[in-house]
Order: sequence, then C-alpha cells, then structure tokens
Amino acid sequence: MNAILTNPLRVGLRQERVISPQCIVIFGASGDLTHRKLIPALFELFRQRRLPSEFAVLGCARRPWSDEEFRSRMAEAMAEEVRNHQAAWDQFASCLFYEPVDLEQPEHVVRLGQRLEGIDRLKATRGNRTFYMSVSPAFYGSGCRSLAAAGLLADPSRSRVVIEKPFGRDYGSAQQLNKVVGACAQESQIFRIDHYLGKETVQNILVLRFANAIFEPIWNRNYIASVQITAAETVGVEERAGYYETSGALRDMVQNHLTQMLALTTMEAPGRFDPEAIRNEKAKVLQAARLADEQEPWNCCVRGQYSSGGSQARPMSGYRQEPGVNTNSTTETYVAMKLFINNWRWQGVPFYLRTGKRLPKRMSEVVLTFREAPVHLFDAAGGSPTANQLILRIQPDEGAGFMFEVKAPGSGMRSRPVDMHFSYDESFGEPSDEGYVRLLADAMLGDPTLFTRSDEVEAAWRLYTPLLELIEDSPWQLPIHPYESGTWGPGASDSLLANDGLMWRRP
Amino acid sequence: MAPQLTLQAPLGLPPSEVAPYLSQLWSQGLQGSTGASTFTLVVWEPAWLEQHLIRTGRGDGPITGLVSGERLEAARLAVSECGLPFSTAPMAPDLAWALGQLGGDHQAQDLRGQFVSGAISALMPRRLITLAATLAADHPLETMVAAYCPLPEEGGTGGACGDVVVLRGGMGALRQGLGLISPLVGDEMPCWVWWNGSLDEAPEMLDALAPIPRRLMVDSSLGTPRRCLDLLVERIGAGQAVNDLNWLRLRSWRESLAMVFDPPSRRDALNHVVQLDIDVEGNHPVKGLLLAAWIADRLGWHLENSFVVPTGESSGDGFGAEFRRSDGETVHFRLMPVPVGVPKAHPGALVGLRLICSPGEQPPLCVILCSESGGCMRLESGGMASMELVEEVVALPNESEEMEVARLLGGGHDTTNPLMAAAVPLAAKLLAQ
Repeated sequence: MNAILTNPLRVGLRQERVISPQCIVIFGASGDLTHRKLIPALFELFRQRRLPSEFAVLGCARRPWSDEEFRSRMAEAMAEEVRNHQAAWDQFASCLFYEPVDLEQPEHVVRLGQRLEGIDRLKATRGNRTFYMSVSPAFYGSGCRSLAAAGLLADPSRSRVVIEKPFGRDYGSAQQLNKVVGACAQESQIFRIDHYLGKETVQNILVLRFANAIFEPIWNRNYIASVQITAAETVGVEERAGYYETSGALRDMVQNHLTQMLALTTMEAPGRFDPEAIRNEKAKVLQAARLADEQEPWNCCVRGQYSSGGSQARPMSGYRQEPGVNTNSTTETYVAMKLFINNWRWQGVPFYLRTGKRLPKRMSEVVLTFREAPVHLFDAAGGSPTANQLILRIQPDEGAGFMFEVKAPGSGMRSRPVDMHFSYDESFGEPSDEGYVRLLADAMLGDPTLFTRSDEVEAAWRLYTPLLELIEDSPWQLPIHPYESGTWGPGASDSLLANDGLMWRRP
Repeated sequence: MAPQLTLQAPLGLPPSEVAPYLSQLWSQGLQGSTGASTFTLVVWEPAWLEQHLIRTGRGDGPITGLVSGERLEAARLAVSECGLPFSTAPMAPDLAWALGQLGGDHQAQDLRGQFVSGAISALMPRRLITLAATLAADHPLETMVAAYCPLPEEGGTGGACGDVVVLRGGMGALRQGLGLISPLVGDEMPCWVWWNGSLDEAPEMLDALAPIPRRLMVDSSLGTPRRCLDLLVERIGAGQAVNDLNWLRLRSWRESLAMVFDPPSRRDALNHVVQLDIDVEGNHPVKGLLLAAWIADRLGWHLENSFVVPTGESSGDGFGAEFRRSDGETVHFRLMPVPVGVPKAHPGALVGLRLICSPGEQPPLCVILCSESGGCMRLESGGMASMELVEEVVALPNESEEMEVARLLGGGHDTTNPLMAAAVPLAAKLLAQ
C-alpha cells in the first residue's frame, strides 16, 4: 500500500475563524499582483471553504473590461490552477465582477458605490467591504480620500482598506501618508500589509517565545550575546528595475520585512493575545531601537551592489547591466547593519541585519547566539566551545534548530557541537498557506494583528532615517561595495562583525 | 458578549397586521439602512426545559430561550429529583418531559425573541422571527414586533437595524400562525431556520418552517438518534444546506485526532487501522457515530455490517460494526455508552476514542483521546504495553449555542459541509436497527 502523502483527517479543519459575507474590492485589478497573488489567494480560500457563500470580488482599474473579460483574464493567468479545479473555479468565477474605475474621478467613485450596492443586493454581502489598494503608492492617499468622500469608509465595522507596501519612502512621507489616510478612516480600518507577517514561521516567533516557559527567562541581555537577522535572495532585480532603482534594499527589505522580524524577536510579552496589545509592544521596541552609531552611521552600515558572476555555463550579469538600471546606479542591492535596542531587556546586545540579492542561497532566518559558559571545563573539538545558538528558520526548510555542546564519543571528555532540529515539514508534513492567503483572510476578518500600525511604520522609518539622510546627502560616506553575484556580499560586511569578534552564520 | 433586549418595547399586533406594519416600518424609517441586506433568522424556541424549571420553582424568570450556567445547574439538580439516571444530560428532552410531570405553577415574564444573544445581534440580522411555544397548549396566538438596533458595544453603529417578530402561543395557535412566516421571510436574502429544540417534536412545524432553500440549523443530540440521523440524511439528500451543532461540537476531537497524524512519519499507520473504539456519555450515540463515520469516510473504509452490542446496563446498548479497508483487511468498531456522574450539557458527549493501528513490520500504534472530565480507563485497559501509545486529552470548547449559531450565521454557506454530508449517511447506517 502506498504511503499517505497528505493527512486525510486534516481536510476541512482550517475553518476555525469565519469570514463574514463581504465584497473585496481590488483597485489595480489589471496589475500583476492581482493575478499573481490576490486572486489565487482568494481562490485558495474559496477551495478551503473559508469564504462564505455571500461573497464577491470586484476588480477595479482604468481599463474598460467587462465582468466576463476580468474572469477570463484571471482564468488565463491561473490556467494550471483552474484546470486542476475547474468546477470550483466555475463557482468562484461567478463571484468575480469588474468595474472600470479611476479613483481620481469623483463620478467614477460614485458609480463604484452604486455598483457595490448592486452587488450587496445580488450576493447578500451585507455592505461589508474590504478595499485593497494594489495601485502605485502615489495613489494611496488620493485613493483613500476618494473612497472617504464617497462615504464608502463611513462605517468602521463594515469597511476596511488594505494598503500594500511601501508605506512612504521615509519618515516624513510615511507621517504625511498616515495623516491623509487617518483623516479618511479610523486606524482600525487600515490594514498596512507586509506579506512577511503572513508567513507561518514569522508568526511562529511569537508562539515559540510566548507559548513556552523555557525561552522567556533567557531571552535577554543576560544570556544572549548577539542576534543576526538575514533575508537572502538568489534572484537579481528581474523585472522590477523601475521600482528598485528608486528603492534599494534598505527600503525594499529592511524597513519592512527585516524590521518586522526584529520587532517580533525583541518585543516584550503582550498582556493578552490581542491585536492592539501585540502592536503596542512592537511599536515600543522599535521606538527603542537605534543604529549602533547614529552620529557616524557609516561605521555601522555597509551597502553593496552585485556585479557579474556565476559560471561559464550560467553567467549572471551585474546589477548595472540589468535592463532598466542606470549604468552608473548607486542603488544598493545588499545592506548590512548593526543596531542596538535601548531598553532593559536588550541594552548592549548587538543586532546585525543583512539582506541582499544574488546571494548564494535563498533563505531567511533569525539567529540568537547565547553567551558562552562562564568556565570552560572541557576541551572542545573545535578549540573552544561553540556558543549555543537558537536558529529560527523562516524560509526555506521552515523550522527551528538549537546548537549545543555534547560530549564527543571516546574515552576523553572533549565537547563538540550538535544540532537539535525541528522541521515544519517533518512535524506537519503539509505546506502552509501562502502569506497572502493568511493576510487576506485576516483583513476580511477585520483582524489587524499581522498588519502594521501607523506608529510602527513611523518608528521603523525613523530608525533608518540617519542612513537614508546620509545616502541622500553625502552618499560617498556610505559607498557601494561591489560583490560578485552568488557570493555572500561584500567583504566589508564581514568586517562589520569581525570588529566585534563575530562572524555571519553561514547557513 | 452579553445578550441584549430589544431597545424598543415590542408592539402587540393582531396577526393580520404584522406584515403591513413591518413593510410600512421599512418603507419609512429603515429603508436604506445596511441592515436591510443581511439575512433572516427564524428560530423555533420552545425552551421546554427553561419553562418547566421556572414553572416548578427551580429558577426565576424571565424566560429568555438562552441557556445560562444557572439554568444548567438547576437542570442537573433536577435530574436526580426526577429519578432519571445520573448520566442524563441537562439538555436531554427526557428531563424536560420528566419535569413536565411535576406540579407547579410559578409564572414568569416571557421574553423569548426579544432577548437576543449579543453574538447574533452583532451580525445585524434583518429580521429575527421567533416561534415561542408555551406550556399551555390552549394559549392563543400573540404576535409582537419591534424595530431593533444593536447597541454600539455589540458592534452596531446606529446605522444598521432590523426587526424582531415574535409569535407566541400554544402549539395549536402556532400552527395557525405558520401562514404568517413565508411573507415575512421573503426570498430576497438568505434565510436560516434554527430548530432550537428536540427533533422529535412537531415535524410538520419543522417542514413548514424550513423548506429548501432555507438553511437549516439543528442539534442532532436532541431527539431520538434514529429520528435525528434520518432527518439529517433526508435533508442533506434533498440538497438543503444543513448545519448540525452536534457535528460542530466534534471539532476539537477531529482536530486532536488529525494532530496525531500530522507528522508524515505517522501517516502510514492510518492505512493499518484495525480497531476503533468510542465511548459516549449515556445512551445517545449520534455524536460518536458521526465521529466514527467521519473517520471511516476520510480513510476510505467500506461498511460491511453493523449490529447492536447488548450491555445489559441501564445506560443502554452499544453499537458495533465491521469495515473493510481498501486493502481488504477488517476494521472492528465499537461504540459503548458509559455511565458518568456529571454529564456534559448535551446528550451523548464523547468520553474517549481509541484507534489501534497495526502496520505489518512496525510496532502497533495505539491512539487514545479522552475528554478532560472523563477518564479513559476502559480504553486504556489491556494489551497496550507493546504498542507505541499516543494519549491526548481533548480540550472541550466552552461555547454557547448562540456563539456556535453566530459563527454559522457570520460566514454561512448555502451548501452542507461536504465532510458532514459524507459522514451523516454512514452514521445512519452504523445505527443498527
């Protein structure tokens, strides 16, 4: 008999939280994100029976598509998925609608309101609406203003706005955008999405820390010597040169994804599992975070840019040779930095963050390195005992590992490090939902726990303001170090840790 | 979430004036409110137990239709006073019937239909129609209406309103009033019918209240097992969206069992199950049979035969069956009633489950799940020393009927859950005649 690949008893057990009847309105429905992520995520929720029968998706963009055209375009973009689940798709597609809308045109927004009332009547969606801003960031503010002016955000219990990253491009613009959006809707209606928070393993940081009594007593400066947070990508800039040239790794990855991992790793325990309690703690810890040297930030940050590399068989071009990239570009594709958190728990513990494109391995992890044992009683196989490390693997091979010393077999009393390993695959055996599936469900449920609050966003931008200003005003002080594609970044990044007698973990 | 009374005192109207009054209300005051496009909820609310407890002086009024902890406690005390077996669940219709045989004439205000659970009212139903049967069979039909707005702390914003209609009277009067329901329900929005009583009673009333495509909510722990399962089979077979609160209460058991087999290294054991044992409280096997049927369906077992297992005990007989696995091997199934001192609220609550898997070359695996309050001694006895043993205590959710109903209303489907639809016919076959 064949081994069972999936757990047959697990089917249908993910319906613990019920999404209310509602219509999700996607602005920018003709864009990439809609057919690559949003509609597939909604279809997945539909197939898992997590969407109610009274449900509708209204795609909105400037293009003059009809409902039918929208449906067929989505089907085309998800051809394989649709083929595999044709009957389910046919049902789901009947919930898809389209309305040509330019949010800058007031009469379009009035027409949108009328269309939504029609959908409420047709699909009994009860006036519950989630507006998803999958448009250029330049339109976030004006889009919200248009919706508010048309009264579509008036009822906080029935309307929500999901806003994609980037939320601002520095502290000032984030503040300004928060003001605009905050004038249109209550904070409880605003869902600033960071898809990293949709990952099971990122959420697991909270569970690991606060559902187990053994970690919290040692999760502080008395026991932890340093923390490394890495998000490495193997891909280059690909088709995103236009966006990436104005953003760079700092804005694209560090200010949001890495900072969220930092916040979850370092926040205090919330009093209860409540969105506001959790977000309060995250905001507090980010407000206490500082670059290791704010006066001379070049001492605690390294920027890099990938150059060509690879092998003869598979050559990889450099960033400046990528289509759409300025040949003299000084945009960083790699950034590493050192931070401190000035509070009782973390005072003096260095946090090292790094992210980059065209690194040898696609992986994200948080590594907590513990202090050494105060006295070395035993010889270590490696010369000196290896510090204990707790490794939280975000992706791939999601799970956790713990490195500790044991007695090496033999007649002596030498110690050597071993690795205790927990793997999501081995324990649960089934892939977890894609981040957007979780986050879209949460937004429709009105649960903001995994979304970023205004003060968190501002604290995150403020943290990196000295670097952003330096890059803006005197970029020569934070030069771009080239690194060969397929390597672990510029050598200067290693020096950042070597100065502290440390080295990056080689995953 | 605390239940709330309607803000407006209900207005008593002659039955013939209810529909015109409501249409006038909506055309004047409530038109355009967001509450206008939600759903209608029709509730059959006899509340016999509550009415008898109050009538016999075992509790104070008002009659609300909501089951509070206080009422449950009074019902537990009444079990022994009525001479019923200790295993009788407080919600068992037998208890209400036995209380009905006792004297007493305490009266209380009847607020059924006006006392709305906060969890349900937060969903802003457009119309809540309650049929409140009275103990006095000759009580004439009373009809009352009230406009209803959830308080802000319940999730209301002042803009969303609905209305409440109460039909109160003896059974005969309610039958006469049935004609009022259809015009009030309309067909422009989903309608749910919550049969909040025993499935044995008033079948013609159930048929009249819950025709397809109205969505039906029942509790298969209330009523004779055969009637409960047959009704589910019939309604699901006819294509109605059926929700069973008894099935919903299996959630934590299903989750706990699934969790045991989440590690891929254990999955193969599911191909080698040889024995399934389930213990239930008292003599109501439906919940246990639904669990067994779900397991059998998910693992692709074919039912060979089913039979009664006499126990000679007052707690009732057990049920047995043999399934054929896809590889032709036999799986033995037993469901046994277990006497308990403090039963849970609903009849037939699960006490324990044992699944024995015997993979050819590996040591056998024995999975035992048991409820927090009940021991698993019977399931733990005998022959497990040589097996890998996985033993878990199933946490039992402590949610009210209204919370469960609100979850269904909050995100309901217009079809029956496919897992339940597959399990119900099999459970009916397991209930040997």
